[in-house]
Amino acid sequence: MKTILAVDDSATMREMVAFVLESAGYRVIEAEDGAQGLDRATHTPVDLVITDQNMPNMDGLTLVRSLRELRDYKSTPILLLTTESSDSMKQQGRAAGATGWLVKPFDPATLLEVVGKVLR
Amino acid sequence: MSVQQAGAESAHDAARATDLLVTVASSLNDRLAVTARELARSQDLLREASGELLTAFRGAADRIVAAQKSAPEPAGGGAELDLVLSHLYRAVQHIQSHDLVNQLIDAQKLRVGKMREKLEQALALAQPPVADPAAPQLWIERSRAMLDCIIGGIAQIDDEARGPRSDRRDAGSVDLF
Repeated sequence: MKTILAVDDSATMREMVAFVLESAGYRVIEAEDGAQGLDRATHTPVDLVITDQNMPNMDGLTLVRSLRELRDYKSTPILLLTTESSDSMKQQGRAAGATGWLVKPFDPATLLEVVGKVLR
Repeated sequence: MSVQQAGAESAHDAARATDLLVTVASSLNDRLAVTARELARSQDLLREASGELLTAFRGAADRIVAAQKSAPEPAGGGAELDLVLSHLYRAVQHIQSHDLVNQLIDAQKLRVGKMREKLEQALALAQPPVADPAAPQLWIERSRAMLDCIIGGIAQIDDEARGPRSDRRDAGSVDLF
């Protein structure tokens, strides 16, 4: 079973992401900001990270950069799931090493399709 | 008109301009107080509705997850489970929208609160009596200090009170790099 780390400062958003992924058979672990996400990822190997951008303590782009510095996460897919949709932010995401960018509110079927694609 | 008379008239005009500024700042502050109360009320109503929606969602979600675990590949119930799941997926989208609106209200409350803080600071600058009411320059300085405070506050608010930047046209979009 693939393990996915869902990082978002909104408990409701984490719950929605977790429900959709678990309903499709994935195991989900949660973190409420980038710092906690980094901590979780270093203690538990995950197959995919889905992170929000705007969060206290550590934002999503910083989390992506921090994960990419770790040997275990050089090629792990990382998706940004955020309300930010400007081209400049997406460029920053790409430069940081993110695998993809999804804009909230997400469509569950689309999320599952993307997750399936990046985990293949 | 003598120099003395002209000076007194200037001071009078400058004092009136300061009074006008105080009236505007005070009136704006009162209206923002009403806005803050309305935002808080809207958020309470939204939270109540979201709470009910989440409770209903969790009830259905728990049952479907339990059903999936007990019978991963049901003989005839698969289609029914899929149907329930599709309804829950639709609910997921609505719940996300509630959450985003709640975050937007939080950002607006912060913005209004900070603006009120700045207006109150500006109004406080108008409290002490002017050392020499006949000196127009002192009134002008007071007005300028109040305006600087308000303008500085506006710039600060734009930096600090950012809400989620959700654009409906982009909602749900995907870019894979």
